Amino acid sequence: MADKMADGRPSTQPVLATRGLTRHFGGLIAVREVSVALHQGELHAVIGPNGAGKTTLVNLLSGEIRPTAGYIELDGRAVAGEPAWRLARLGVGRSFQRTNIFAPLTVLENVRLAAQAVDRSQRNPLRHAKHGTGLVDKAQAALARAGLTGVETRVAGTLSHGEQRQLEIAMTLAGSPKVLLLDEPLAGMGPEESERMTALLKGLAREHAVLLIEHDMDFVFAVADWMTVMAEGGVIAQGRPEAIRANTAVQQAYLGSHA
Amino acid sequence: MLPQSKTVPVMLGLGALVLAALPLFVPGYYVELGSYAFIAAMLALSLQLLVGCTGLVSLGHAAFYGLAAYTVYLVTGNGAGRSIFVTLPAAVAVAALAALLVGSLSLRTRGFFFLMVTLAFGQMVFFLFHDTKLGGGTDGAFLARPVLSIFDWQLPLTRRQRPIAVYYVALALLVAMYLGLVVLMRSMFGRVLEGIRVNEHRMSALGFNTYRYKLAAFVIAGALAGVAGHMWAMHRGFVNPELIGWHRSAEALLMILLGGLTTLHGPIIGALAYTGLGEVAQLITERKLLVEGLVILFVVLVLPKGLSGISLPRRSRKPAPKTPPVGAAEARPHG
Repeated sequence: MADKMADGRPSTQPVLATRGLTRHFGGLIAVREVSVALHQGELHAVIGPNGAGKTTLVNLLSGEIRPTAGYIELDGRAVAGEPAWRLARLGVGRSFQRTNIFAPLTVLENVRLAAQAVDRSQRNPLRHAKHGTGLVDKAQAALARAGLTGVETRVAGTLSHGEQRQLEIAMTLAGSPKVLLLDEPLAGMGPEESERMTALLKGLAREHAVLLIEHDMDFVFAVADWMTVMAEGGVIAQGRPEAIRANTAVQQAYLGSHA
Repeated sequence: MLPQSKTVPVMLGLGALVLAALPLFVPGYYVELGSYAFIAAMLALSLQLLVGCTGLVSLGHAAFYGLAAYTVYLVTGNGAGRSIFVTLPAAVAVAALAALLVGSLSLRTRGFFFLMVTLAFGQMVFFLFHDTKLGGGTDGAFLARPVLSIFDWQLPLTRRQRPIAVYYVALALLVAMYLGLVVLMRSMFGRVLEGIRVNEHRMSALGFNTYRYKLAAFVIAGALAGVAGHMWAMHRGFVNPELIGWHRSAEALLMILLGGLTTLHGPIIGALAYTGLGEVAQLITERKLLVEGLVILFVVLVLPKGLSGISLPRRSRKPAPKTPPVGAAEARPHG
C-alpha cells in the first residue's frame, strides 16, 4: 500500500477535492461550505437524510450547476464553473439517481455515444458510425464490465429497471473517467441485482476515485472506505465507517434507531 | 430517421425515376408545378434536419431560403443571367452565414423560447427586405434567371426547354440533398444529433458540447434552405418578401407534419402531397385553405407518423427478430 497518513487515508494528492463549496438556491442554502476529497482507489460514501444536499453536491461536482462560492479542483486544476460537458471530458463521470438513458436507442448505441463523447482521436465526424474504430469495442467492454451482455441490440427503454441501472453504469464507464460520481445506483433494485451491483462497485473503487450516494446503510457500511455525513447542506462528520458509526452527532442527526 | 427496410429505398428510387420521366408525358404547366414541389421539398427537407433529426423547432427557417433567393437578385442585378456555378455558391454562402449568425444567438435558448427567437429573427430579415429598397421593397423584383453555363459555354435551351431544365436541376439537387442527409445521419455527427433530440441533458453529461453540434446542424440546414431558395429564384425569376416571412416557415413545418417527423423522406412526400393537395383543392373549391387544413388535420390525427408512416400490408413471413428502430446494424454480434 501507499503511504498512509495518520487517519489511514492515502497521502497522495486527491483526484477531486472541494473547499468551502457552497450553493444557494434563492434563500435556501442547499450546500454549505462542503470540503471533500476523493482519492484514487477509494470509495467515498456520502450519506445524509433527504434534503441534506447530496444530489446538489454531485450536480456541483459534475458541472451541472455552478457553485455560488468555493473551489473544486480536479488533479490540482481549478474547475469550478466549467460546464458539464468539459468536466466529463476531463474525467468526471456520473450516473443519475433517476435513470437517464437514451430510451429509444439500442443498448449498444447508448454506450457507443458515451465512448464517442470523450474520444480524443481526430476522427472524421462524417464517417459512418459503424466504422468508428474502437468506439464499438470500447462500448462492448464497458457493457461487459457492467455485467450487461447479450442485450446490445435491444432498445434501451425495454430493459428491466435493474438492467437500465447497469446500463447507466456502463455509459459512465465507457467515458473512461478518473472520478465516478454515483447517485444512488441501487435505487429500486431487487436483492439479487443489488448483490451484483455491490460486487461491481467494489471492483470499480479499486481503479477509480468513487463518490457514492446511497440510502441503504448496510450496503454503505459494507463497501465504503471513507464517509461524509451531510445534514441541511453542511458536513457534520467525516471519517472511516467505524468512526461514523460511533459518532454521536451522526446518530442524533441521522441514523436514529438504526445505529 | 433512416429507412429500416429495403422497401423504402426501392420505393423512393422508383418514385425518383417516375418523376424523372414525367416531363416527357405531361404538359408544361405540370413541369413547372413539379419544379415548385421539388423546391418546397428541399426547404422542408432542410428544416427536417433541425426538427426531426435534432429536435429543434424553428419558425425562422424561411429567412435563409428567402435570403438565398434575394442573393441571386443582388448578384445578377438587371444584367444578363449569371452561371448557376456563380449564383448557387453565392446564395448558399449567404444563407449559411446568416444561419451562423442567427443560430449562434438563438441556440442559447431552448424549446418555446428558441421557437420565438427564430421567429423574431425571421421577421427581422422579412422587414429588412419589405421596408427598404434593397430588393425592390414590398413588391419584390424580377431578376435574370441563372443560366446553365460553364466558362463561356452555355447549354443552348429554347424558351420551352428552359423550365424542363430547371425541373431536372431541382430534382437532381433534391435527390443529392436527400442522399447527403442519409449519409450525414448515419455518421458519428448524425448520431450526436439524434442523441441531442432524444436527451440533450444526458448528451452534455456524457461530454458532448451540444451547443456546437446544434450550431453545425443549424448552419447546414440554413445552407440547404439556401439551395432551395436559389432554385426558387431560378424557377420563378422573381423575388418578394413573402419568401422570407414566417408563413413560409410554418408551411414547411406543415409539410414535415404531413409527411412524417420520423423519417428523412417524410418531408419530401409531405411537400409533394401538400403541393398536389393545393392544386386539387383549387380545382374543386374556392376555399382552398379550408380543404388543405382539413386534410392535414385528418392526416395528423389518423397517421401519427405522417404519410411516410403508411406501410404496405406484409405477407406473413416467419416472425422477424426484434429489430431495434435506429442504427442497430452494427449491434448484431453474430451476423
